[in-house]
Amino acid sequence: MGAAHQRYFQAYTAAAPLATFRVAFGLLVLASVGRFWAKGWIEELYLKPKFFFPYYGLEWIKPLGPYTYGLFVVCGLAALLVALGWWYRTAALALFASFTYIELMDKSTYLNHYYFVSLAAFLLVLLPAGRYFSVDAHRAPTHGRNQVPRWTVDALRLLVAIVYCYAGLAKLNSDWLLQAMPLRIWLPAKNDLWLVGPLFNYPWVAYAFSWFGAFYDLTVPFFLLYRPTRPWAYAAVVVFHVLTAVLFPIGMFPYVMIVAALIFFPAEAHERFVARLRGWWQSGPAPSPARPLLYAPRTRQLLLLTLGVFFVVQLLLPFRYLLYPRELFWTEEGYRFSWRVMLMEKMGQVEFKVVDGQTGRARRVNNYEHLSVLQEKMMSTQPDMMVQFARYLRAYYAHRGVHAPKVYADAYVSLNGRLGKSFIDPTVDLAQASDDLQPKPWILPFDDEISGF
Amino acid sequence: MKKTTLLAALLMLLAAFGTFSCQKDSSTEQPTPDSSPDRKALLTQWADSLVKPGYQRFNGKLATLKAKSAAFTAAPAPATLLEARQAWQAAYVEWQKVELYEFGPAEEVSLRNHFNIYPADVAGINRNITTGSYNFDLATAIPQQGFPTLDYLLNGVAADDAAIVQQYAASANHRRYLTDVVAKMDQTFATVYGQWTGSYRDTFINNAGTDASSSLSRVINAYSLYFERFLRAGKVGIPAGTMSGTPRPDKIEAFYQKGALPLQLATTAHATVQQFFNGRTGRPSLKSYLDALDAKDSRTGQRLTSIINTQLDASYQQLSSLGPDLHTTITARNADAVASYNEMQKAVRLVKVDMTSALSVTVTYVDNDGD
Repeated sequence: MGAAHQRYFQAYTAAAPLATFRVAFGLLVLASVGRFWAKGWIEELYLKPKFFFPYYGLEWIKPLGPYTYGLFVVCGLAALLVALGWWYRTAALALFASFTYIELMDKSTYLNHYYFVSLAAFLLVLLPAGRYFSVDAHRAPTHGRNQVPRWTVDALRLLVAIVYCYAGLAKLNSDWLLQAMPLRIWLPAKNDLWLVGPLFNYPWVAYAFSWFGAFYDLTVPFFLLYRPTRPWAYAAVVVFHVLTAVLFPIGMFPYVMIVAALIFFPAEAHERFVARLRGWWQSGPAPSPARPLLYAPRTRQLLLLTLGVFFVVQLLLPFRYLLYPRELFWTEEGYRFSWRVMLMEKMGQVEFKVVDGQTGRARRVNNYEHLSVLQEKMMSTQPDMMVQFARYLRAYYAHRGVHAPKVYADAYVSLNGRLGKSFIDPTVDLAQASDDLQPKPWILPFDDEISGF
Repeated sequence: MKKTTLLAALLMLLAAFGTFSCQKDSSTEQPTPDSSPDRKALLTQWADSLVKPGYQRFNGKLATLKAKSAAFTAAPAPATLLEARQAWQAAYVEWQKVELYEFGPAEEVSLRNHFNIYPADVAGINRNITTGSYNFDLATAIPQQGFPTLDYLLNGVAADDAAIVQQYAASANHRRYLTDVVAKMDQTFATVYGQWTGSYRDTFINNAGTDASSSLSRVINAYSLYFERFLRAGKVGIPAGTMSGTPRPDKIEAFYQKGALPLQLATTAHATVQQFFNGRTGRPSLKSYLDALDAKDSRTGQRLTSIINTQLDASYQQLSSLGPDLHTTITARNADAVASYNEMQKAVRLVKVDMTSALSVTVTYVDNDGD
């Protein structure tokens, strides 16, 4: 380990950035949970459907029936406690566990920002974000620390930087840059927006947005790191994400990123902010002597090792698609958990045929009798979900007296303005197809090429 | 300094790219104010030139049906039966031209459920007639009312016309049920039509966005749902046995009337679907809107609207070939019926997947960042 290295890992910084991140993050997750509940989505997405799409290897993670509400209560409560810094470590762990559980209950609700929340919550479990400006530190002042190792703050910065850079890399493909797809489809649908709407009718605007979006994602972490450009870069963050919030139905994601990017501001800015918050209920700021957080050598080593492994996984995981031979956007093998946000206009229709293995009698399935609108929409373009549904159908019809049911999918998918085409080999019994991470040979060819990352 | 340089570079890049793409595009088609996609104009056209006039015409046929069925129950005779039946037939055909408008007021009262869910529940109808007590708003009563029930009441309650007339002459309960079924249709439709001639028209055209609650989204969802479930599956697929594996000719529309009517209803519905898509030349329509969006298959450069029209033509032709009597064709030439279903399925996909995607309307209220 070089001297610079040594010095970096010995460097200390104010604990305030961790504290403001903790507060903002906790409140945002609390708001998300409240919003989710208020919109009736818990019932619609996790109670009503008869079938759920689990993740590979995590089939045991399922909605808990009416207790699912309890899960959301736990999650919201944990988020509040994290924000307050009260029983911080336990709360962070509960937040990570409950939120991740919720996220993994059904694939059809997968959102990149849920994944980001899970990862950030995981980091918060490890990081000393409860030592400053927290109920814990207030109740047990000996526990409080106002200086933390610099790498604890940088870990959050690195996570945010990875999100942006990988989202930017994912945009470096021919559809995005050369065809301005899918923005070319999405923008005209918003042409009634005040003032700027009419511009969206022009293809060059879609090109400008595409190129700027890619440039923004790839570079904004660096502009945020560099002091002279930081205010401008943060203004760009706010404008960019507010614009996406206005244009697209992406829920809390823009706000999550607007808040997360605050971590790039220097410690003094965070300290001033915390001091102002304190000022609301305390007469004067409480200047205190520097109290750095010193880890025991073993703890420190273990923490650094865990973070190291975490980030190596984060850096590699989005590239796992390279292990699959065919077009990522078409097969979606290795698509999730890779910061591929708003990249495709993909739509499909799938109809299942169940054939009696003995009599050969065939019947068609009405998907809507089993799935929610969202589930059916998501499944219609994602092969791994079709396999799972086919297995469910086999069991369902076997139970209803169909002998050795075979399940065939007749699927049709359009991607980024290409006319739809057959998606799944209609002669393959999907209920027999393996439900794992292997390439799926029964996905029909894309017959086109999208080059780039 | 660095920041300024970078910003300048970015701006120049964008400007250069903008100019470049403009030039490239101007060779094909540059959006002008005339051809830019205008949802409000489209919705206004739909409301004023399709839905309201369509409902008005249907309202007329429904009034005739009401008058003729009243004349029949007042004086059951072969002649009045024939007139009532003709009025029913004319209204049923006209209904095919408005059934697809199941959004807004029609969706609110589930108009289709009150008008055209078949096959009719004959056992339930007979029970209702006998007991004389029924509530048409119950879910179980859906197949005990509307056009399919009138089909049974005017064609199926007895072996021939003389016997049918005899039945009504003899049974006050029969006369009352027929009157009540028509009255319920009249009453339900009146609320829907009243809203369209009232304030709903403005609500409809002013909700001009593309989110899940927008008029466009509701219309497109209703349109593709109608095409897929009620035209493709209901009129052809289910009777042909594509769903269940066994042909079920008894599940056709207007089963008791038989003859040319069932196919006429289906072809009328199909023609309506295509007319709704194309609209009138020079006026806003789905077709003109999609063309203004410049929706093309990016693999071949073919216009989406011409692809859709070609397929709708093919589908209509195949459907028309199922005559003269759909009931016979379902069993005698089942393969043709299945082929018709398959042609319709191809068109359904173009509408439900390619067209909806090009329109970029949202179908669920739930957050989405994946596609």
